[in-house]
This record gives sequence, C-alpha cells and structure tokens, in this order.
Amino acid sequence: MNYSQYNVHSPQTLNEALGILKEKSSEVRLIAGGTDVMVQIKDGLVKERELLNLSYLNDLKYIKEDGNEIRIGALTTYKELEDSTLINQYAPIISDASKTIGAIQIQNLGTIAGNLGNASPAGDSIPPLYVLNARVKLQNMESERVIPVNEFFLGPRKTKRLPDELITEITIEKVKAGSNYFFKKLGLREANAISIVNVACIAELDQEKNVNSIKLALGAVAPTVIRAVKAETLVTGKQLDLKVIDEVARTVSEEISPISDIRGSAEYRRRAAYGLVYEGLYELLVGTAKKVGGKLSGEY
Amino acid sequence: MDVSVTFTLNGKQVTVKAPAAKSLLRALREDLNITSVKPGCEAGECGACTVLMDGKAVTSCLIMISQVEGHQIVTAEGLIKDGQMDPLQQAFIEEGASQCGYCTPGFIMSAKGLLIEKPNPNENEILDAISGNICRCGAYPRIVNAIKKVGGEQE
Repeated sequence: MNYSQYNVHSPQTLNEALGILKEKSSEVRLIAGGTDVMVQIKDGLVKERELLNLSYLNDLKYIKEDGNEIRIGALTTYKELEDSTLINQYAPIISDASKTIGAIQIQNLGTIAGNLGNASPAGDSIPPLYVLNARVKLQNMESERVIPVNEFFLGPRKTKRLPDELITEITIEKVKAGSNYFFKKLGLREANAISIVNVACIAELDQEKNVNSIKLALGAVAPTVIRAVKAETLVTGKQLDLKVIDEVARTVSEEISPISDIRGSAEYRRRAAYGLVYEGLYELLVGTAKKVGGKLSGEY
Repeated sequence: MDVSVTFTLNGKQVTVKAPAAKSLLRALREDLNITSVKPGCEAGECGACTVLMDGKAVTSCLIMISQVEGHQIVTAEGLIKDGQMDPLQQAFIEEGASQCGYCTPGFIMSAKGLLIEKPNPNENEILDAISGNICRCGAYPRIVNAIKKVGGEQE
C-alpha cells in the first residue's frame, strides 16, 4: 500500500485542530484511535489525501461529573470508560458495551467520538448512548452546538457533523439507582466481532415487576441505531410476564428495518432481535438483570 | 509525505523517518528492524502485531507512525533484559506454547499487558486478555498454561 500519498496533520491543541479543519474542511479525513481509518487506508478506501490526527489532543480525554450528568471527552477510549468509577456507578451500560468492542487492543485505542463519527449502524457504544439520552457537542472555530444523539445520525457513515466541526464532548444522564439495564450483542465470535444485532435497555420496575419506564435501543437493524418506540410504549405500565415479553420482543422484531448483508439476512436479524430482547426482558422478570448502583444527588 | 518521529522503543530513544500514514507495524519491521511484530490481518483482528504502548496492549497495525511521538513502545525484543528472557517468554518455551510460532510474540505482549495491570489474573481474565489474538495452530491450552505459570491466581 502506498502510505506516501497521505499528508498527516498532528495538532497539539483543539484550537490548532479547528484551524486546520476550517482551512481544509472536506479535504480532510479525521483519525482518532485509528481502529477503523487504518483499516480503510490499508484497503485503499480513504480518498482524502490529508489526515487530521487527533491523538495528541489530551484536553479531550476526560470523564467528569456535572450534577446529574456525566461529561465525556471525545477522545476517551473504551478502556477508560470500562475502568471509570463514575461510569460504573451511574451508567454501567456503557462499560458493559465497551467490553464487547473488539478486544483489549482495540479498547485501548478506540475512542467514543470515533465510534460516533464513524457512524456505523452497528457501533456498539451507540445504543447505550441512545438510552442514556446522550448529547453530542460539535465545535468549529467560531461556535459550538449540541445535538441529541438520536438526531445526530443521518444514515450509515453519515452524520450532522459539518466538515469544519469536531465532536468534542458527549454528555450523558446519570441513571437512577436501582434501575435495571442490559446490553446484549450477537456477533460471530466473542472478540473482534461486528454486531449482527445489538440492544441496550434501561428500565425501572417496581416490586411486582410493573414496568414504570423503559428505554430500548437497537443497532445494526436499520440505517441508524433506533429506539424501539412501539415496543417501549406497549410495555410501559404493564406487568412483565412471559406473554408480555413475547409480545414486546415480537413488536421489536417488527418495528426494525434490517437489511441482508455479509453478517446476516434481514430475516435472521429480526429473529435475533426477538431473541436478544426476549432474553434481556426475561432476566428483568426473574431478577437476574444488572442494576445501577450509584445514587443521584438528592436521592437516598 | 515523510515525517520524523521520536519515541522510546524498548527503553531506547529512536527517531524514524517514514511516510506519515505508515502503520507502526510496518515502520517497526521495515525501518527499525523489529521483526517480532508480525503482519497477519493488518486489520486489528488477529493480534499478531500486538505491542505495548505506554504499558497497554495495542495492535500496531492500527496505529500511524505519526501517532507515536513521545510514546513508549515495547516489543518482544524489549522484554529481554541483560540477556535474560522475561518469565513469560521462558514459560512459553517450557510449556511448548507455540507450534509455528507466528502468533507467539503477539500473545506474549497481550499477556504482558495483562500482567502489568493485574499481576495475578484469574482464568477468565487471561482468556479475555488474549481474546484478540488468534493462534491458527490451536496452541491455546498451552498458551493459557504458560501465562498461568507466571501470573495465574494461586490455588
């Protein structure tokens, strides 16, 4: 492969990076952890000849508490999310999902903004961000704006990020202590597998297994990650039992719009989505699902 | 376009001049004569090119040479101190943990990364740490035994 055709910019500060973007905008390909871009370079799929290497922007590597929210710097790696006390306390679903991304070598390199910017419908950190009501901060030289994550994606590999903008921060809501959650992924092997279907769920149930609230998001089953709104509406306020679980999982499998590709047929994905949702909700019913531990401020 | 990058390789400061987008894997092999890092899939899926960057296991095929300025890179060559092999290297030999040997340096670096973080890992932690490495000869049980011999939880 011909590496010499690329010119790499390696800014040391955010301002410097935004300046380069302003000047070159759409001629530039961004590279953060490199876990996707380097493969695309090898395969000759990167048409831009200018690369903007973001790996030295240390100011964008942080996880901070901000009231009932957590702010995550764009260049935070999956491994840093997995190891974060704050994340494990208030939004452990991100930690669970990060552990399923690639293998340790990938988790040490890949970044949360890379997963968002890459905009694969199968990105494993994205369904958790949907159920955490995440917001994506975009900055250019002049201004910044914030977009809810469920409005950020336009389709496979397409986002609302403008050519002169960088994703600089992701904000998530802390989850109420005692809430149940699950992240499930179906891939062809345990490590280094791209999801055929993935699903993230956060739910509040009472003692009698009545569903007070639920958020369900699925990946790799539509042009972007989606919330399973019909299924959520159906189950909210209902008492979980096997019949309800079957009905919810069936609704999910009907409201998604999967395609057939190298990893699975559309029909297989519908069945897999049914299975993953059924399994997750069954765990909520029998009480083996994981629970969020951290209390929100003002909560006892 | 070429860049000049200075970093620490196996404890020594080196400067390499290479195309800016070249992978660390290719720069190590072609420009720095470090041949323990193996090109397998060059897509981050086989682990044969695993090195330590600042003490953490990473696939060197997915890192641009432009991204290693100032970082610490350690390869299997760097585990040998004063002519003495690392206990992990010794254990791989004693347990016969390689057949063709192509994947071995990558496995050893993944194991090293694990032991730096968790000196006494349990079996699941060992399996997790090497899940990104593929051995096509199927020497996995011996590889796990070798890692256990050095750092495994005492029973």
